Amino acid sequence: MEPLGWGAIAAQVFVQFTPVWIGMVAVFALSIVFKRRLGLYGKLFDSTIGMIGFALVLFWVFTAIFADAIVTHDPLAQVSGLKNATLGTPVPEGSVYTFNVESPLGLKQSGPYYLLGGDNLARDVFSRMVAGSTVVMQIAPLATLFAFMVGITLGLPAAYYGGRLDTVLSFLANLILAFPVILLFYLLVTPEIVQTGLPSFMAMVLFLFPLLFLWVLLNSRFYTQPMKQKLYLGGVVLIGGLLYLSVISQDRTPINFWPDALDLFDIPGGILIVFVAVVFVNSPTVFRIVRGIALDVKTRDYVAAAQTRGEGPWYTMLWEILPNARGPLIVDFCLRIGYTTILLGTLGFFGLGLPPESPDWGTTINDGRRLLSIYPHPAIVPAVALMTLVLGLNLLADGLREESLRD
Amino acid sequence: MALFILRRLGVMLLTVLCLTFIVFFLTNLQPNLEKLAKTQGNMRMTDEQVEIWLSNRGYDRPVFVRYGEWLGVLPGWVGETAQGDPVGRCIAEGMPPLAEGEAPPAFCGVLQGHWGYSTVFRAPVSEIIATRLGLTGILMFWVMVVMVPMALLIGVLAGMREGSRTDRSLSTVSIVSTATPEYVSGVILIAVFASSAVGLRWFNGTATSAMDDVTFRNFTLPVITIALYGMGYIARMTRASMTEVMTAQYIRTARLKGVSFRNIVMKHALRNALIAPFTVIMLQFPWLLNGVVIVETLFNYKGFGWTLVQAAGNNDIELLLAVSVVSVIVVLVTQLISDIGYVYLNPRIRIS
Amino acid sequence: MTKSIDTGRCVHPGAEMYAREHLAGKLSRREFLTRATALGVTAAGAYALIGAPQPAQAQQTPVQGGTLRIQTSVKAMKEPRAFDWSEVGNQGRGFLEYLVEYQRDGSFRGMLLESWEANEDATQYVLNVRPGATWNNGDPFTAEDVARNIRGWCDTSMEDNSMAARMTGLIDPETGQAREGSVEVIDDLTVRLNLASPDISVIANMSDYPAAITHSSYDGGDLYDHGIGTGPFRPVEIEVGVRAVIERHPDHTWWGTEVYGGPYLDRIEFIDYGTDPASWLAAAESGEVDLLYESVGDFIDILDGIGWTRTETITAATLVFRTNQIAEVEGRVPYADVDVRKALALAVDNETVLELGYSDRGTVAENHHVCPIHPAYADIGPAPFDPDAAKEMMDATEFADFEHELITVDDEWERNSGAAVAAQIRDAGINVRHTVLPGATFWNDWTKYPFSATSWNHRPLGVQVMALAYRSGEAWNESAYASPEFDALMAEALSIADADARREVMAQIQQKMRDDAVIIQPYWRSLYNHHNGNVVNAEKHPSHEFHLYKFGFAS
Repeated sequence: MEPLGWGAIAAQVFVQFTPVWIGMVAVFALSIVFKRRLGLYGKLFDSTIGMIGFALVLFWVFTAIFADAIVTHDPLAQVSGLKNATLGTPVPEGSVYTFNVESPLGLKQSGPYYLLGGDNLARDVFSRMVAGSTVVMQIAPLATLFAFMVGITLGLPAAYYGGRLDTVLSFLANLILAFPVILLFYLLVTPEIVQTGLPSFMAMVLFLFPLLFLWVLLNSRFYTQPMKQKLYLGGVVLIGGLLYLSVISQDRTPINFWPDALDLFDIPGGILIVFVAVVFVNSPTVFRIVRGIALDVKTRDYVAAAQTRGEGPWYTMLWEILPNARGPLIVDFCLRIGYTTILLGTLGFFGLGLPPESPDWGTTINDGRRLLSIYPHPAIVPAVALMTLVLGLNLLADGLREESLRD
Repeated sequence: MALFILRRLGVMLLTVLCLTFIVFFLTNLQPNLEKLAKTQGNMRMTDEQVEIWLSNRGYDRPVFVRYGEWLGVLPGWVGETAQGDPVGRCIAEGMPPLAEGEAPPAFCGVLQGHWGYSTVFRAPVSEIIATRLGLTGILMFWVMVVMVPMALLIGVLAGMREGSRTDRSLSTVSIVSTATPEYVSGVILIAVFASSAVGLRWFNGTATSAMDDVTFRNFTLPVITIALYGMGYIARMTRASMTEVMTAQYIRTARLKGVSFRNIVMKHALRNALIAPFTVIMLQFPWLLNGVVIVETLFNYKGFGWTLVQAAGNNDIELLLAVSVVSVIVVLVTQLISDIGYVYLNPRIRIS
Repeated sequence: MTKSIDTGRCVHPGAEMYAREHLAGKLSRREFLTRATALGVTAAGAYALIGAPQPAQAQQTPVQGGTLRIQTSVKAMKEPRAFDWSEVGNQGRGFLEYLVEYQRDGSFRGMLLESWEANEDATQYVLNVRPGATWNNGDPFTAEDVARNIRGWCDTSMEDNSMAARMTGLIDPETGQAREGSVEVIDDLTVRLNLASPDISVIANMSDYPAAITHSSYDGGDLYDHGIGTGPFRPVEIEVGVRAVIERHPDHTWWGTEVYGGPYLDRIEFIDYGTDPASWLAAAESGEVDLLYESVGDFIDILDGIGWTRTETITAATLVFRTNQIAEVEGRVPYADVDVRKALALAVDNETVLELGYSDRGTVAENHHVCPIHPAYADIGPAPFDPDAAKEMMDATEFADFEHELITVDDEWERNSGAAVAAQIRDAGINVRHTVLPGATFWNDWTKYPFSATSWNHRPLGVQVMALAYRSGEAWNESAYASPEFDALMAEALSIADADARREVMAQIQQKMRDDAVIIQPYWRSLYNHHNGNVVNAEKHPSHEFHLYKFGFAS
């Protein structure tokens, strides 16, 4: 077979992304039709910058979701003879194999071409990039979300009560922020520290916050309706508790007490550690932002009104202050996902955290850069992917900021 | 004001103490000590040999006591080797030589000016930090020289006429530059401008020779790589602050009075628009430190960031402590300066 | 030892026999040279024995003067006996010399020894000290210096002395020191070694990098501070991880100038560019160095592409994937089971690993750590490869569902080879994951990992590695292989000076290694380096040695 030309490659790649295009068109069509009823999200579609950003982000979200349908090869499979192959190289006859994808699709036949070439270990660059989006999309938004929950759970009371609590929490946040991030990673993510179980203990503490957050959120909302309150809280404790115990109890770590039968999943390799490190690094910044906004919102009339009504402090914080602080928080959330993506790459750059065959973008860029001067594609493809995602998030944040200022 | 600075300095001291203790504690965890023993002694030592190695060097005592010794508030430990020679913290390598018959000092910690001895580089820590910090200082200087004027220029040009085509394109440039981390841009820059594959070879792909002699050829790429990432952020801040100033009442008045656009920008808007970027630039220092670590690793420039990676990678306890102290002080001092500067530049704010 | 031919003394009968074998086509020239010179025949003598002209040593005599900049890791200088890196040896090689030097062509030539003779069963060696050699502080170099250093090598009380394992024939097992009477000083220029058991590797071991000869005043510590040696250079400065500099000693007359010529350079700088080959390339491209320590993997072609001159040497350097037979993983000892080890070995096709891991720059190995270029190598056929049988065999053990963890260090080619091995084991249907550790972390525990890859340097004789790495209880026995039969076979092999006779024993040893599935050894590496085209006599050495006195510039 002949190698593909540039046009054919572009067409093939385009075809591979079909599920993504369908998803994007559907989301955009629905959103634009109903944009007047969708609040801030709907307003996004009034801003070109915001729309471009949203499209870029949506592209990667759908790519991550449909990764199994998009990949043409097993991201870990090596095909002899395709080491550092150029773009559009056909797979040699007889090297076609089937591989397992974890979805209803089941077995899948490998494709006839290495669309974006092969890497240093003769793996398909295109499939690795697509598979990498899943890793990044799993870690970055979720870790940012966790960081926000930690930051909010601590930042609101710090601002609301002030005084000694505020002083202590702010001091701790500034303490963590004073560490250079890379030093922190080196202190937390090296194999020796992992051996001591420190990251596992940190996971125990950090993952408690989302539970705490949900508990307080629902408890303060429904304390007037005991039935609902019991139902929701029971749900949080049961489901959240099970998830929590499954997450923190990992094989091969000092914390492995939970019976395997009830252990829903084990997070592979370094992912938990990376996750914890990234949450830990992000939380203090979120804390500072939340505290700053809350200090401002606290002085508003409606807060005073709620207090006069006799609402509890947590109700005031979570249901009066927080919703009014959401604008800047959403904007920062978008920016922070981008920053987290960059941090993940930094970890990959120093070879910390994720296992080396992981297709995540940071690790692949670091692998590819060694041979960059002759075979640029293995590094450039994930680099462009990372850049577009972070760019999309930045543009999205810009769009949101512009629109929310118009309120 | 004096009280404010004094209080800030107090908090700073407390932060440094807490932080060094955290670093001290983490680097002195058992697996880390074993790693140290094996890299320094021999990779093939047995567990008993490791224990002996550690106790011979005083590593087996409580972590609080040793932290006190490092600080210099507790007397340094003393012991004896198997041959009966005295050993101890204050007789170790890297200490100034003693005169004949003179007893070694009882205290030898940071308070006495002894930063300890690097196990990786086999040299006094203070010496290493001084050289490496000097090298990074040169790098930072050039980064600032390139980054700050560029960022301000882009920001001011974009913010001058909000919504214009210049604004849109310059804003996009600054967003793209913030979305490109150093390890991406550095890699691409090397490929394009330094590799034989593309063939331009305008610059060197390493900055090792820049440690002896900075030239345009060997220093451009590392400087640009750091400057690009930091530039976007400052430019956006400048733009935001510029657009705000340009819509302010006194500018409108000036325009109505018929002052030329050029004069308005140069004489009235700039000064007020540059207050916010000033704080941002100061707060960028800690961020730059991050970039410095990546770039120094990528370009093999053996400055402070490179030392950090070496010290952390080899669990060089005393060097790592000194590195943390320095970087924390940099972070805190820049915060302080930015706060003070903000007050001076903006007379409307008074410290309460 | 041209002398022994000139004076009519007998050439070692073994050497003559080797010469006959070579002429009969049974021995390659390289093997012949290694064996004959190990028995005390000089390279010139050995060439004479087979009637071949000795190849010209240098294409070109370098010009005098100049500063050579070499890319290499710069590591902390230790007591020589504790050297654990070839690089450390090279940093000291300018001023610390060796008794014997291993040449690129596989022969040994005398440095601080002028010549040596071994008796017939390799239990007694007579060492003739180089006349006229002096220390750079003015002291004459004598037989006493040689004896003192050899006794030092035998000191097992020094915990990190790796020479002791190489000198077992001289050590009294009770005292842990050199046996009474084993090192005799006959006169000022003659030392005699009396070994308890035959050992054919003594001379080869004296060329190994921890065997640097130090002055009597040296008592541990940084060699760059001490600075006394016999070599033509003197240390100037060392900054670990950054650079080391040596320069020609201005007022020391080096013995070698009239014997071998040189030194040519005024100053040599060793500059550290980290472990990433991409930065070595960058250093080469920007002209910051003249010579690379080693070029690896895909960078060999790239360096060719930028117009640098490549040199190559075929070696017995290799990468060994070994299981640790006593390592515990979650309370179980997976690799104590020979079937588990065998299944892993069966699952790996060595040729594919060579292609993917090392770009086909070497020769396929056979899972027994004896190289075809070693004398006494026995051809027992290629290692079997059968993934289906591997899966079956693994399923029959209690470790069918066990997830193996393959650990490699973060080095370009070692990592790639590790990934290739892991992929093949995975293809066979066995669970495996691949973990890459940064250098400092990896080497902390290198002997203890349950399943990992270790790179081994070239050694001139096959028995040398086997003795170091696979005998029960040796310090470097990372596979924790303990087999009394194997030990007995090794003892036998080490006593047979005659390579043909030894080959029979070696065949058994090799087969035993493979039957017990001690290691998976995919390939032998060829080694490469590059220079900018203007460096002379700096061709890659099989043991990574820099013979600095030979180096120079063409113009």
